[in-house]
Amino acid sequence: MKLNDDKIRELSIQAIEELGPNASHDAVKKLVEEKIRNPEGIPEGVIQENSGRVILTSFGLNAPGVVSSISTALSDAKCDILDISQKIMQEFFTMIMMIDITNSPKDIKDLQEIMKNIAEKLKVKIYLQHEDVFRFMHRI
Amino acid sequence: MPYEFDEILETIKMTEIEHFDIRTVTMGISLRDCADRNIAITTQKIYEKILRYGGNHVKNAREVERQYGISIANKRVSVTPISIIGDAFHAEDFLKIAETLDKAATEIGIDYIAGYSALVQKGFTNGERELLKSIPEALSKTQKVCSSVNVASTKAGINMDAVNLMSQIIKEVAEKTAAGDSVGCAKLVVFCNAVEDNPFVAGAFHGVTEPEVVLNVGISGPGVVLDAIKSSGGVDFQSLSEVIKKTVFKITRAGELVGRKVAAKNNIPFGIVDISLAPTPAEGDSIADILTAMGLEDVGAPGTTAALAMLNDAVKKAGLMASSSVGGMSGAFIPVSEDAGMIRAVERGNLSLEKLEAMTAVCSVGLDMIAVPGNTPAETIAGILADEFAIGMLNDKTTAVRIIPAVGKKVGDYVDYGGLLGRAPIMPVRELSSKSFVLRGGKIPAPIRSLTN
Repeated sequence: MKLNDDKIRELSIQAIEELGPNASHDAVKKLVEEKIRNPEGIPEGVIQENSGRVILTSFGLNAPGVVSSISTALSDAKCDILDISQKIMQEFFTMIMMIDITNSPKDIKDLQEIMKNIAEKLKVKIYLQHEDVFRFMHRI
Repeated sequence: MPYEFDEILETIKMTEIEHFDIRTVTMGISLRDCADRNIAITTQKIYEKILRYGGNHVKNAREVERQYGISIANKRVSVTPISIIGDAFHAEDFLKIAETLDKAATEIGIDYIAGYSALVQKGFTNGERELLKSIPEALSKTQKVCSSVNVASTKAGINMDAVNLMSQIIKEVAEKTAAGDSVGCAKLVVFCNAVEDNPFVAGAFHGVTEPEVVLNVGISGPGVVLDAIKSSGGVDFQSLSEVIKKTVFKITRAGELVGRKVAAKNNIPFGIVDISLAPTPAEGDSIADILTAMGLEDVGAPGTTAALAMLNDAVKKAGLMASSSVGGMSGAFIPVSEDAGMIRAVERGNLSLEKLEAMTAVCSVGLDMIAVPGNTPAETIAGILADEFAIGMLNDKTTAVRIIPAVGKKVGDYVDYGGLLGRAPIMPVRELSSKSFVLRGGKIPAPIRSLTN
C-alpha cells in the first residue's frame, strides 16, 4: 500500500481516538505502524496490490529459437515460468506462458522492453499483460 | 494454465485488432473549497488543487495501460460546475478561471478539462448568467476547457429562456472560433437531465453530490461488438442479444479493472464505469457499422431505431451484470463526426437530422457532433434543442445537443478537426421557421409522470 502524508495523518488520528486516555507517544506510534502493516479503512474502491503473475503471448511465423530466446531472457530476469502451452498450425505458431515476476528485479515495463527487442529480432509478436485482465474478462 | 488458449487470444484480438480501448479515465475533483471573494486567490486555489490531485494522473494511467496492454485514449479531469464556485463573480473573472483550468490541464498533461458549466433548468442566478456570458470568449481563448449547460430536466421542465440564450451562445462560439472550423462548438454541450458522474467530455462535470475526488472510467469498444456480430452470422434477435451481451460483459470488466487500478495508483476512490459504446473515427470502430452488420443496408433505413434500441439495451444489461458501479451516461453514443459509418450515411443522404433525433430517443446521448450550415438561425437551433430536450424530459433520460453551425460552410462542405473529434459533413436543416414558437420564452412545464402514452 502506498502511503502519503494525509493517509498517515488519518491513521494517527484514528489511533489517538482508539487509544483514548492511553494515547501516549509510543502507543500511538506502535498502533499506527500496526495499521500500516495491516491496513483497514482503505478508501472505498482502492484495491490491494495484485499478484505478480503475467501472461506472455507470442505468435508469428514459426522460426527456430523463439521459445529458447524468450525463456532465456526470462530466466536472466529471474522470472519464474509457471506454465507454458503452445500450438503450431501450419507455419504459424502461438505460445502462451504464465510467468511470475514477483522475485524479478525487473517490472513489467522492463520486461516489455526486453521482449520488444526479441520480437523485432525474431519477427514475431510478443505481448505481456498482467494476469488480472484475463481474470476480469473471462472469469465471473 | 488457468485460462484457455482461446480466452487469451480473444483478449489480445480485442486490444490489438478490434480497437478495444478505454476511452477515458476522468478524475473528478471538487473545487467547492476553492471559492473566495478574491478572484486571484480563487484561481490560485483551483490551480493548486488540480495539480495536487491530478499531478500524477497521466503517469499513473500510462502505467496501467502498459500493465494490462489496454490503451487509454484520453486522460481527463472534471471539476465542480464553475458557476457554483464563482457565483459572486463577473464574466471577466470567469474568464480568468477558464484560463486557469486550461493552464492546469496543460501542466498535468491531460487531454481535456470539463466543468465550465452551469445548471439552469429552473432559472439563473446572477453568477450563472455571468458564466454563460463568458462561454464564447472562454472557449475561444482556451484549448482544453469544455463547457456544458443543463437547461432542462424531467422534474423542472425546459427552461426556454436558457434554450434561447444557449442557441445565441452556440452561434457566438461558432463565430469566435470560425478560423478553426468553429471548433469551439465541439467543446460545448447543452443538456437535459445531465448526470453528475459522466466521464465523457464535453459534458463531464463533477456534480455537487460527488465526493472530494473520484475516478470515473468510460469504456469504448464498438469494434469488438461489431466483429462479434459479424462472426455470429444470421442468427435471430435473442441470439444476437446474447452475442452483444457476452462481448460487452468482457469489455465492461476490463474497463472496471483499469478504472480501479488508476484510482488505486492515485490513492483516490473509484467512482463508476460508464458503459457507453463510444465510437472513434477509426475504420471499424463505429456504431453505424454495428447497425449495418445487424442487417440494415445503411443507417437511416427503416428499422434503424429498433436496431439501436436493441443494441443499447443489450449493452446495459451486460454492463450491469459485469459491474456494480455502473453510472454516467451508459448507452451507445451516435456522434456523427466521430463515427466513420455515420459520416458515410450522411454523405450518401441516408441519414437525416430527423432520423438522428428519433434514434436519440432510444440511446444516449443526443444530437452529438452535428455540423449544420453557418447561416442556420439561432431560433432554428433553439427549436432543435427544444425538440431534443422534450425527448429527454418525457423519457426520463439524458439528452444533449452538441451542434456546430460552422461559419461560412454550407451543405456539401466539411468541418475537419482530426483526432477523436473527427470530421463532419454539413447536414441540411429544414428551413421552416421556429422563431415565433421559441421566442415565447418562459418555461415548458415539467411533464406528468402517469398516463404515459
